[in-house]
Amino acid sequence: MGEFIGLSIAGLSLGAIYAIAASGLVVTYTTSGVFNFAHGAVGMLMAFLYWQLRVQDHWSAPAALVLTLLVAAPALGLVLERGLISRLNVNDTGTMLIVTVAVMVALMGIAYVIWPPSIGRLLPMFFGPNGHVSVDGELVSYEELISIGLAIATALGLRLFFHNTRTGVAMRGVVDDRQLMAMNGRSPQVLNALSWMIGAGFGALAGILTASTYSLDVINLTLLILNAFAAAMLGRLRNLPLTFVGAVVLGLADAYVTGYVRLTGWLVELVPVLPTLFLFIVLLALPAVRLRAGRAAVSKAIHVPSAGASLRNGVVLVVVAALIAPFMHGIALGNVNEGAALGIGALSIVLLSGYGGQLSFAQYAFFGFGAWLFRVLGHGGNPWALLVAAGAGALIGALMALPALRLRGLELALSTLAFGTLAWYMFLSQPQIIGGGDVTIPRLHLPGLSLQNDRVNLVFLAVVFALLSAGVLAIRRSRFGRILVATRDSDTACATLGLNLRLTKVALFALASAIATFGGAIYGSTQMIVTNTDFEYVSSLFIVLIVYVWGISTPGGALAGGMSLALAPLVEVHIPVRFQALTYFMTGLGALTILATPEGIVPLVSERLRRLNPLIGLRSRHTRDMSVGNEQLLARVEVSRATPADA
Amino acid sequence: MPLLQTREVTVRFGGVRALDSVSLSADAGVVTGLIGPNGAGKTTLFNVVTGLQAPTSGHVLIDGANVTGYPVHRRARLGIARTFQRLELFGSLTVRENIQTAAEIHQLGSRRRSDVGALTDSILDRVGLDRYAGAAAHTLPTGLARLTELGRALATEPRLLLLDEPGSGLNSAESEQFARLLASLAAEGTAILLVEHDMDLVMQACETIHVLDFGLLVTSGTPDEVRADARVQLAYLGQSDTVSTQAGS
Repeated sequence: MGEFIGLSIAGLSLGAIYAIAASGLVVTYTTSGVFNFAHGAVGMLMAFLYWQLRVQDHWSAPAALVLTLLVAAPALGLVLERGLISRLNVNDTGTMLIVTVAVMVALMGIAYVIWPPSIGRLLPMFFGPNGHVSVDGELVSYEELISIGLAIATALGLRLFFHNTRTGVAMRGVVDDRQLMAMNGRSPQVLNALSWMIGAGFGALAGILTASTYSLDVINLTLLILNAFAAAMLGRLRNLPLTFVGAVVLGLADAYVTGYVRLTGWLVELVPVLPTLFLFIVLLALPAVRLRAGRAAVSKAIHVPSAGASLRNGVVLVVVAALIAPFMHGIALGNVNEGAALGIGALSIVLLSGYGGQLSFAQYAFFGFGAWLFRVLGHGGNPWALLVAAGAGALIGALMALPALRLRGLELALSTLAFGTLAWYMFLSQPQIIGGGDVTIPRLHLPGLSLQNDRVNLVFLAVVFALLSAGVLAIRRSRFGRILVATRDSDTACATLGLNLRLTKVALFALASAIATFGGAIYGSTQMIVTNTDFEYVSSLFIVLIVYVWGISTPGGALAGGMSLALAPLVEVHIPVRFQALTYFMTGLGALTILATPEGIVPLVSERLRRLNPLIGLRSRHTRDMSVGNEQLLARVEVSRATPADA
Repeated sequence: MPLLQTREVTVRFGGVRALDSVSLSADAGVVTGLIGPNGAGKTTLFNVVTGLQAPTSGHVLIDGANVTGYPVHRRARLGIARTFQRLELFGSLTVRENIQTAAEIHQLGSRRRSDVGALTDSILDRVGLDRYAGAAAHTLPTGLARLTELGRALATEPRLLLLDEPGSGLNSAESEQFARLLASLAAEGTAILLVEHDMDLVMQACETIHVLDFGLLVTSGTPDEVRADARVQLAYLGQSDTVSTQAGS
């Protein structure tokens, strides 16, 4: 009995932390319409700040709490909302999500640089090591009771705020009708900012409680967002009471499974994926979301090269690879090979997100799956294994998408991250699959080619990338490609024209997953030695972020993204260890170029180049007029409207 | 039998009745008007007919068959097409691609294979967008954007066409041209349900008019009957000042 009570209290206290974290997420989302991926990272940074004040600078606990919770966290929330979020279109879910991922990465960089992870840090318990009571022989720490108490206070406080204050009532209404709220004299801008300040405050509280009850760790605290999200999904990110129910169920499940179930074999890693499993059950049980009109995303047209142009670009790429390969050696040669392989896999992101407008944060699960399949099937580097990998990837991709298709883009994207987490813990990390140690994968064998030589392999990868890019561009120019872009711009309109959206999305996910898995097999064959850390689920966030920055709608963006990821370590070795994490910060900061060029850097540069080069410019002027809308064209439209006689 | 019938369609949003037991119909070959002040429930009715909004109670019938449970895309394949008050264009595609893609989507669902290119060209010509075919849709001024949505709807060769304020953004010459287009579409047998604030256009183009106010069907009749109806004047035409301001904005 004592054990049961002890476990229940531990579970409730964990659930309480989830509930506090999730409350912040829900408050921000309900009012501002933005899912803040950096919510966990904000809490993480604030927990480190609290440690700094409390432990390093010897502040008293109340003073440190007041400064972090009531000053620093709301200030950070305010800066994020005013500086970034308010400049974005709230209907552009993809860009919005990516920007908050960028913030998350930047905040992680800040934490790593100021508080290097090489030093262990402990937060003292609020009431010292003896701060506990005994319940039926089980020790229950004050920490746990404080968390539970604070969660109850949060629930009551938010209830009162949202129902009994005018500002709170207005915040509930703001997402549904901004203009109406504006007419009532409540500025949506002020309410949005307020919701981010409150959200950050709860994130900070959850971060500090996690740090003092469990551990002060950048990754763990940042990923608290996943558990908070799982809890909040029960209330579809909007309903606070259901969010609390979800949080408590998660906390108790964690405690009871840890306490009562002896986990052996492949179930050893069950506890960390409990929130993910919970999320999947919730997603399956939720009613399908209905299509809404009036939410069409505004996206710019991006130049789509013709078949001739894409082949020409491919030839240039292969020639460049052949020219530089003989001069490369050692680690750099290996990393460029790796970058090319990642670029091939990243083409899946161009198709899925660039054209289809769907975000997936599970790409590395497919990379890992492909690498494993090539290991198992590619005896002697058998090239047929690549095709089997692509086919199997398509199947898994379709299965992953099926339950999630009833959801909005945001929910779908987040559930792919859940899928990636599950795949990493329950599949890729199993010792008989890839596991934590080195496993060897054969190099691809093609008759007549000595691909064992990394220089030859590099040229081969360039050929594969060029062909696959041409294929992806051919899809874009096809009927299916136009339909994909149409669903991205307005899925509601597509449905009213007779398109079966679910079928289209399943096909899209299947195709993109086939490319990702194929790319993973190529990656495995290129690396030849891999461990499960090569496919960590968090990496999926990074690759999508980086490809987004370079240009999500162009194969060039995929290649630049893959290269950035693979070549970053070459740069990092020249940076003092203390500041290596600045690459995180710079990545996050660099990602904010999205604000200026949502289409990405590659399309921007190639457009500039086309304009600079009079020869190319002349040739492509026609197509530019066709696809790229600009002020001049608009002016011309107006002029020709005014003079109908000229037709 | 009318092509479209709604039977006692009610939609509640929380405590608000957006539509209250609305029964109306639209016949093939006829332009039917649907008018009423802002918030009367016109767009909600379109959403119910196209399947974007499930009714709290009531039914939608096409050719007398109950389609209330059908998903959006299946209704489209029965020949329902619409435009949107708040534009839902494929912004990054060109005007031509908008129409072409609609025709291609339509072809996916039918066994008939027609020449998409020729159909697209004829629609561009018909709605008067041939000169803007290469322009990216997101750069279009509102009037042209609405015409593009109309062209896109026509690409599915609809039997029932729901037009949600297609006239806003058109100048008076374009508006007259638009009325002639509606008449020629109706002459081909298309049933057209027209939501519009431009009273001149409605009175000129429609054979029958339904009037909604606060979710209730106030009356139905010919333009003359509707104009003469005291309830309509009270609910709607009496505020002709505000109506014309809205139509002009």
